[in-house]
Formats: sequence, C-alpha cells, structure tokens
Amino acid sequence: MSRVVRAAVFQTAWTGDKESMIQVHEQAARDAAAQGAQVLCFQELFYGPYFCQVQDKAFYEYAEQIPDGPIVKRFQALAKELGIVLILPMYEEEQPGVLYNTAAVIDADGSYLGKYRKTHIPQVEGFWEKFYFRPGHSDWPVFDTAAGKIGVYICYDRHFPEGWRALGLAGAEIVFNPSATSRGLSAYLWQLEQPAAAVANEYFVGAINRVGVEELGDNDFYGTSYFVDPEAQFVGEVASDKDTELVVRDLDMAKLREVRDRWQFYRDRAPGAYTPLTAP
Amino acid sequence: MTVTTAVPAPETALSVRQILALERVVAGEPEVVAGAGQLDRPVRWVHVAEAADVGVMLSGGEMVLTTGVLLAGDVRIQTEYIRSLDRAEAAAVVLGLGRAFPAPPESMRRAAERCGMPMVVLHRPFPFAELTEEVQSRLVRRKFAAVSLSEAVRTALTGLITTGAPLQRLLDEIAGHSACPVILTNLAHRVLATAGERSAVDDVLRDWERIARQAGGNEGDGWIRADIGGRGEQWGRLVLCGYRGDIETGRLLADRGAEALVLHRMLGGTVAAWEEQSAQSLLTDLVSGVVPARQLLPRARAAGLPVNRRTFVPLVVRDGDAPQLGRILRLLGLSGLVAELADGYTAVLLSFARDQDADALAAHFAARLCTGGRPVVAAAAPRTAWDDVPAGVSEALHVAEAVADTPADQDLPMLVRLRDVRLRGLVRLLRDDPHVQSFAERELDGLLCGGGDGDPDLLPVLRTYLATGRNKSRTAQLHHVSRPALYRRLEAIEARLGVDLDDFEQAASLHIALLAHDAQRG
Repeated sequence: MSRVVRAAVFQTAWTGDKESMIQVHEQAARDAAAQGAQVLCFQELFYGPYFCQVQDKAFYEYAEQIPDGPIVKRFQALAKELGIVLILPMYEEEQPGVLYNTAAVIDADGSYLGKYRKTHIPQVEGFWEKFYFRPGHSDWPVFDTAAGKIGVYICYDRHFPEGWRALGLAGAEIVFNPSATSRGLSAYLWQLEQPAAAVANEYFVGAINRVGVEELGDNDFYGTSYFVDPEAQFVGEVASDKDTELVVRDLDMAKLREVRDRWQFYRDRAPGAYTPLTAP
Repeated sequence: MTVTTAVPAPETALSVRQILALERVVAGEPEVVAGAGQLDRPVRWVHVAEAADVGVMLSGGEMVLTTGVLLAGDVRIQTEYIRSLDRAEAAAVVLGLGRAFPAPPESMRRAAERCGMPMVVLHRPFPFAELTEEVQSRLVRRKFAAVSLSEAVRTALTGLITTGAPLQRLLDEIAGHSACPVILTNLAHRVLATAGERSAVDDVLRDWERIARQAGGNEGDGWIRADIGGRGEQWGRLVLCGYRGDIETGRLLADRGAEALVLHRMLGGTVAAWEEQSAQSLLTDLVSGVVPARQLLPRARAAGLPVNRRTFVPLVVRDGDAPQLGRILRLLGLSGLVAELADGYTAVLLSFARDQDADALAAHFAARLCTGGRPVVAAAAPRTAWDDVPAGVSEALHVAEAVADTPADQDLPMLVRLRDVRLRGLVRLLRDDPHVQSFAERELDGLLCGGGDGDPDLLPVLRTYLATGRNKSRTAQLHHVSRPALYRRLEAIEARLGVDLDDFEQAASLHIALLAHDAQRG
C-alpha cells in the first residue's frame, strides 16, 4: 500500500485586522483536520494584508519572533490539538531592524521544526519587498514532518529554478509555494512555473495565492491555489480565483517514485558542468 | 529554414502543389526543377514580374510568374532574382520557357534549390493572364467562403442571444457547425456544458481528467481552444474536441463561439450561473432517472466531482442560496456539486474519501450553513455506490419535504435524516397512494365538507389538539380561546366525525389522516 499524504492549502482575503485574520486561519486548520488533512500551508504573510504594495514602516509591527513570538506559540498549540503539520508564512523579526519573509514549520505534535527565509526579494511596482525584508540564507532546509519531507519556497523565489533543485536534492517530497501574486502580466505563469518545477525536480508542489483586492493598492490577487504532481498534472481542481477556499488533496507518494524511476533527472544531472552558475 | 511539408495550406490559400495540379496549369506541362520538398507552401496571390529587383514589389506568399526576358544572359542577375524572391518570402517562382530560356537556366535552378524555393518551368507556356485569373478567382472564392461562414455563424449566434436563448442552445449551434464535441470549461477546467453527439461527448469526458489536468495544453490533433473573457479577465475556455476540418476554419468557429459566449455572459449570465446550470442539469438528470446513473459518471467526473472510491452524501436544503452553498463548500475544502431543484429546494451532492467520516463532515457542513440562520438541511444516508446516488437524492428531497410539514416548534437536529421525520416521513412517502388518499377523505369527511352550520376553525383546532398530544389547555392557549369554548369545539368535532377523541386509536387514526391530508396539499 503506497503512502498517501492528505495535504491542504488555504487561500483567503484580507479581513481588515490581524486578529480576525488569525481566527480565519485557525478555523481553516480545524476544517482541514476534520477532513483528515495531515499538513496545511497558509498563504504568504498569512495574518496580514499584502503590505508590500506600499512602503510604510508602520507595517514593521507585523513582524514577530520565530519561534518565540505569540503567533507561532498559538499555532503550535493548535497543531498539537489537531495533530496536523502547519506551515506558517510570516513576517519575522530576528531583532529590531533585521526582518525576514519567513515560513515557520510546526510538526503535528506541536513541536517547532524550523524555518525557511525567503531568498529572492523583489523590488518592483506593487511588490516593494526590499523595503521590508532582508534576503534569507537558509541553506534550503527540508523538514522531516509527520506528513513527509517538506520544503518551502516563498512567492518570488519560484522564478528561480536553483532553489527548487536544492530542495529536491535535500529530499523534499512536497514543496509549498505560499505567494501573493496579482492579475496582470505574470498571471499566465502561475500555472506554468510550479508545474515545471514539479516535473524538473520530480516532487509535489502546493501553490497558494491570496484572493481579492486590498485597501493598500490595486493588486488583484487571483487565488487559484492548487497542488501539482511530479508529472505536472494538477491534483484535483485549481481553486477559485475570487473566493476563500480550502484545498484538500490526496497526494500519492507512489507517483513520486514511479516518475523518478521513469525519468532519471537526479541521476543524469551534471553538477560538474554547472560551475559557471555559482560564479559570483 | 521554413518547414512546410507537413503543414496543410490554410483554408484561404492554395498550396503550390494544388496550383500545379489545376487543369489549365497541367496543360502548360509544368516541371518542378528545384525546391520539390516545399510544394505545400501556401500561395496567397499570383503575381507576374520580370524586373530583376522583383523582391521590392512583393509582400510575401506570392507565386511569381516570369518569362525571364530581363534575366537572359547574365548569370549574376539570374541568381540575384531568385535571392530577391527568397528575401521577400515569395512562395514559388514559375518560369515560362521559350521566350528567353529554351531550358531551365542552371544558375537559377541552383539558387532556388539552395534557398528551398520551389522553381517550376512551363514547357508549353500559355498566357499568364489565364493562370492568374484561374488562381485568383479560386483564392477569392475561398476567402469569401471563410468570410461568409464567419458571418453566418456570427449571425446565427447573435440571433440566439438576442432572443434570450440559453447557453446550451448556443453550444448546440457551435457544435452543429463544427461537427465535433464542443466543451465549455471554467478556469479550473471544470466542464460547464457540452454539445455534440452524445456518445462522442461521453468519449471525450471519459478521458477529461487526463486532458484537463495537463498544465498548458496541446493545440494539435484538432483540439482547438478559444479563451473566453473580457475586461482583462479570463473566465473560461471553449474547446472544439477533435475538429476534423482544417485548423483555420476550426479556429474561426471557436473564436466566433467564444465571442458569442462573452456576449451571453455580459448580457446577464455569469460563470457562476453557468457552473450552476451544469450541476443542475447533472443532478436533475440523476434524479429523473431518464439517464442511468452509470452513464452520468463521466459528466460528474468532468464537472469536478471526485467519483472513484468515494462516499456520497446527498443533501437537500430548503430555501438555500446556491452560490452561498458553493462558497461554504470551498471554504471547508469539501468536494461537491450544488444545484437548485424545483420548489425552493437546493441539492448538494457531497463526495468524501472512503476513510473520511462522511456523517461527521456532512454535519460539519450543515453546522457552518446554519450559522446565523436556520435553513433545513435534509440528508440521505451515505451511499458508497454511484448507482445508489439517485435514490439518495430522492430520499433527501423526501426528508426535506417531510420537514416542511413539521410544526416549527418541533425540535429537529441540524442535519435531518429519514429517521428524524418518523411517521410524517412515511405518510409523505405514501401521500400519492389512492388508498391513503381515500382513507384521509373518509376520516376527515365531516370537517372537510364544511357545511353552513360549521365552524371553519374546527380543522386547525383538531390539528393542534392532536399535535400537542391532546393537551386541552395548550390547544386553548394556542387558539386564543377559553377552555369552555374549546370544549364546545371538540364536542362539535366529535359530533361531525362521529368519533370519540378520548379513544387513543381513533385519535391516532385522525392524526394520520390529517398528516396525509396536509402532505397531499403540500
């Protein structure tokens, strides 16, 4: 009997305040657990608006300590209560003035497993992230959770194939890509890049995008979160482009082995030939 | 290099090969002396040109006819003439032998071969005007045919839209022109509507999972897709599945169809409405039993409902708002279809993985639905076989109807099942039975007939008296009458019906008759 991981992602709209946003996510975790989901990943900067549409230091207040801040503690207790692995994309303050775009990973027994800090930070119209975040250097952690080996690659990171590969080499079976991405020029890439990464690295990808237009700008976040398998096939349907939605899907890990046995990308890659890629 | 050998000529053009096969051209004894591998190149126009710098007069796709009178004697000019044609992306060159060249000039032949340009010589030259007339008229006829097809399809579809035709009628029209299955999907690749020959559509839907889940998409093999959207937003997609005609015509049909659907949506439809119509027609077909459940399986799968190794729970919600029910399904991450049925009932068909607690999750859904209100959610027992789903939907509908007859003060669970509606459910089920109908008439005859001396309130009083378990003070209270007044009415009822209300069996009999009477009217 092959191992099937029931995995979930959650997309939602900004409610207008941090506490109600946290409560919406707590309820989503309960709803996912009620369905037997073993792991759930939230959207990028899950308890806030996507404040990078503006450059305003008032939003530094959204940053919290990881793992010692109250939100991580709160969701550790919830993960333990529900027996579900939680991935929490948050605004992290390491110390005043040292801030990161981070995802904390909580195991199903509530223990804190570690974090991934977003590596590639954009600074373009509507996505002024360099104002808020230092680039992370997390060495591509893969977390050995109760639901399997999990990696995280945040939003803009997805445009860079190297990180996807590093997570694959580190043994990731599922990589979550929590995002905040809006309609416009790149919308067509949303269903192209992650499936391509899933094939190139022969693992499952869960892509999450928030929904709605928020008060801070015109970005129209188009949701359409999904899971894609190592053959670039969507697992079930892609979520709504407007509504809050919990996406729960069964990921059959036998597919990962089957695809890797068929397409030997890890065997046939040629790292010796890639030296120019790491030249400064 | 341009590879044209495997590409069929677009519908509005002729290929070099087709032109060479025309009767009038064959009479000129054409011989291909270079570029034989490129004869499927499309010819957009035929042009006669003698000048050495011919290229400046062309815009691409032309077949150029020449006698070579200005080229004779100068090998360099001959070579440059061919290169100039190639730079201008001419489709082919035809040289009439006799006036300037008795035989194909080797320099031109070599140059044409190097460029991959078809070069044809006519051993029996004839007036070029005849050839241009022949080809030009054929090209114009083809273009005209395409324009008229486009116009005919557009007129038909616009006509349908202005008369308020439903979505299905538009798709049927498109399928009528394309002679292949036509499928409308939303952005999540969910099939919203189909048209075309039923068995061909079913064949496509059977494989839909594989086709739809592929990221990107392949336009080959007659699968022609047109995006549906407007105001910078894409809503869905129209797909011609396995169109057998030429790609250009298929593209034209798909584009006209997509335009019509955009217009249809802008004039009142919504994608949500399309989605609901799709679920509605599926669930209606399921309940009606006109189509065996098994045959509806591909449609259910294509509509986004997981059906393999699943447990199904049919629900019926009274006064439910279908879009709201859909939003709650998505919020909870549950798989299901929502559709409005007749008489203010909405059906929800939930699909769970076998290891999930179907009852608990259905109750979870009902609880979320009941937040801030109290719509009645009637549920059938979970079904593990798809073939049992129609009976399940009927059961849920039956429960919902029985609940509608239940007094408002009766305590019911959040999710009402058959067992919760008890006798009322049974009577509802049997309401159309002639024996039950005549039983109710017989039992209540004295009150139903009325009569000049009767009190019109007697039937409601009897109903309340029996529903309260023959509690006289409660009945008097509910009818705002004094107890002596109530006694008089009960005595009148006993006299009219010839019964003793203190006798349990007689009272029970009247109670059942009243339930049957109410169910028949409901």
